[in-house]
Amino acid sequence: MVKEGEIIMANYHVVIIGGGGTGAALAHDLALRGVRVTVVERGEVTSGTTGRHHGLLHSGARYAVKDQESAKECIQENMILRKIAPGSFELNDGLFVAITEEDLAYYDDFMEGCAVCGIPTRTLTREEALRLEPNLNPEVKLAVQVPDGTMDAMRLVLRFFATAKHNGAVIKPFTEVISLNMEGKTVTGVHVRDHTTGKEYDIGADIVVNAAGPWAEKIARMAGVDVPVQPSPGVLVAVWGRYNNMVINRLHRSGDGDIIVPQRELSIIGTSSWVVDDPDQLEVPEEHIQLMYEKGAEMIPAIKHAKMRAAWSAARPLIGSRGATTGRELSRTFKCFDHADEGVEGFVTITGGKATTARAMAETTADVVVRKLGLDAPCRTREVVLLPHTAYYT
Amino acid sequence: MTEKNVQFKVFRYKQGDTAPHYDTFTVTVNERTTVLDALEAIRRDQDGTLTFRHSCHHASCGTCGMRVNGKEVLACVTNVMELGTPEVVVEPLQNAPIISDLVVDMGGFYETFSQAHLPLIRESEYLPESDVAEGVPFHMRLESCLECGLCLSACPVVGTDPEYLGPATLAAVWRVVQEPRGEDPEALLAWVDSEQGCWRCHAAMECTEVCPSNVDPGGAIMALRGELTRRKIGHLLGQG
Amino acid sequence: MLDTTRFNTRRRQRRPGAWLHLKGRHVGAWAFALNRLAGLGLVLYLILHLFVLSLLAKGPRAWDDFVALAKSPLILPLDVILLAGILYHGLNGVRIALIGVGIGVRQHKTMFWTLMVIVAVLLAVGTWGFITV
Repeated sequence: MVKEGEIIMANYHVVIIGGGGTGAALAHDLALRGVRVTVVERGEVTSGTTGRHHGLLHSGARYAVKDQESAKECIQENMILRKIAPGSFELNDGLFVAITEEDLAYYDDFMEGCAVCGIPTRTLTREEALRLEPNLNPEVKLAVQVPDGTMDAMRLVLRFFATAKHNGAVIKPFTEVISLNMEGKTVTGVHVRDHTTGKEYDIGADIVVNAAGPWAEKIARMAGVDVPVQPSPGVLVAVWGRYNNMVINRLHRSGDGDIIVPQRELSIIGTSSWVVDDPDQLEVPEEHIQLMYEKGAEMIPAIKHAKMRAAWSAARPLIGSRGATTGRELSRTFKCFDHADEGVEGFVTITGGKATTARAMAETTADVVVRKLGLDAPCRTREVVLLPHTAYYT
Repeated sequence: MTEKNVQFKVFRYKQGDTAPHYDTFTVTVNERTTVLDALEAIRRDQDGTLTFRHSCHHASCGTCGMRVNGKEVLACVTNVMELGTPEVVVEPLQNAPIISDLVVDMGGFYETFSQAHLPLIRESEYLPESDVAEGVPFHMRLESCLECGLCLSACPVVGTDPEYLGPATLAAVWRVVQEPRGEDPEALLAWVDSEQGCWRCHAAMECTEVCPSNVDPGGAIMALRGELTRRKIGHLLGQG
Repeated sequence: MLDTTRFNTRRRQRRPGAWLHLKGRHVGAWAFALNRLAGLGLVLYLILHLFVLSLLAKGPRAWDDFVALAKSPLILPLDVILLAGILYHGLNGVRIALIGVGIGVRQHKTMFWTLMVIVAVLLAVGTWGFITV
């Protein structure tokens, strides 16, 4: 789909390390700008962190008070995703429910924060809330309706990959980066092992983008630079049964187990937060599983006896230096690092962010990449409707 | 937490190998460990070349489908200790070309499945007594089918006949017939009313047996037959 | 996507004996496999039966020789197997026909075990009949 006049751009080759949501959105963005793209991912696409999230199409309301930069990013991207990926979301909206007096005390700050961040809200009385969601804790005092939704974490990302692929991008799963090829302090490509054949080979690139999520620091060190990424896992529990059609959130500052996301015929209760050094060593502490049930039951009592389908953890890639204790104190926004600032050419890192903001992360990164390549190519991902996820395989 | 050492006998194959073989790994498991957890531990600590698909870890993406002790399951929700065997045999799904180890090529499946034009979102049948929030047209949810391929691996007819549309695609067509959402149910019914369509099934019902998401493809195939038969009889009577 | 030129085809390979690969399979697949085996057996029997009837054309002595053979106790187990095949194939056929029109789809396993009980009872009765008649 490279148009006449764009031929020059197609001679530039960008290699993206990391086949998660960020890598997918970036491959899509760059392919639309006429850049030749190869994505290398050590496992199945989205098998790192992206595939594991609870599937929330974020309204940003959770961050409306304490992390307004992230909240604004979320609501803007929420609206864009509805436009570019129609038919991919359970669009039942969400409720922030006040169960205790303490929750009620948070209401004013919450409403002010949502207004500042541009998040539409509607306040509901206890009776109205129970008519919408009869399984709510009858102690509910009030609820605030926000534009939350549910997505299939992997299939939304596959739409980005599918569109990128059909625009010429090459996606290589089971292809692990062993080292970066460098000439002096310039990154010239990647040395990979294809795990489906056992063979190693090189892929040359004008720019290598590190989109490896919580593994971003591991990749960055291969180029001799450092990025402040703090892997911060959390536990999620999926139970059998759909107790709510709307996403149910606790009306309070961030805490453990304060969201229940409906997904097909399951309910996903999340989440907790701690920090680790190695995102490949993730525990699922038993106390956290119990905590999810407990906290979930405060919002929907019936969940206490729901049969467990799965309990797992996933490592968020949070921006922040070491020294954080739980991860909840770090911002959920994203950041793009051009390592030319540290003397390393041909290498860019994008990290942080949330599943809902992957497109915005890609736009920022692609802007940096084409600027480095000396090209004038604007971003088009806000308008282009994505192909269906099945197109990734056909 | 009790811990136990369990042997995993894992199918191995790389492109270019003349034949597959099995490797045996020992993994320490506890009461919560799933087969997927064990495979990840093997990849991380014992053999970084082991390839397997996974993503959501909660039976939603459908990518971790494989055969464990001969049965089709999603590895992420298969508890190792509950299997009850000291050795666990892990093999790829059947009836799809093997890419490497436990990874199969789902392209052939998707080429057929995508022709059913199944929209991802359907009306939610849950909590019918509840009101719909203002601004929301109706309660919706994701379709149940995870596209995992367990049904295709288990079906004896899919095994013997590469042209058979298969349970997943037929179940998807039935869903479109039940709830068209702008797609063309007539064209789809004509498509499945064929020798390789819903009539090819021999009612082994293995598809419904192994489905991890309550799709009941066997029931869907019989429903398609019922619908087509009703139409044919109505047509005959209408002409008589 | 992975380089599919490494594969000859994205289509499935045919596994002609797949219906007999019963490891990991459940009641329904076993019922199908048994039905097919019984059906094949009945076809063979039909051919045999037609051949035997053709002996009638060869006159009374050929027929009498056959009847003498048929009365031998070695033939009894074969008769039992034949009866089992007829009973199973027939009753499972009814089960499949019901499922095929949407009756009892969710209860197909119960239907299978019920018909197996009926087969066992009728087989016992029939075997007793073979022995005493």
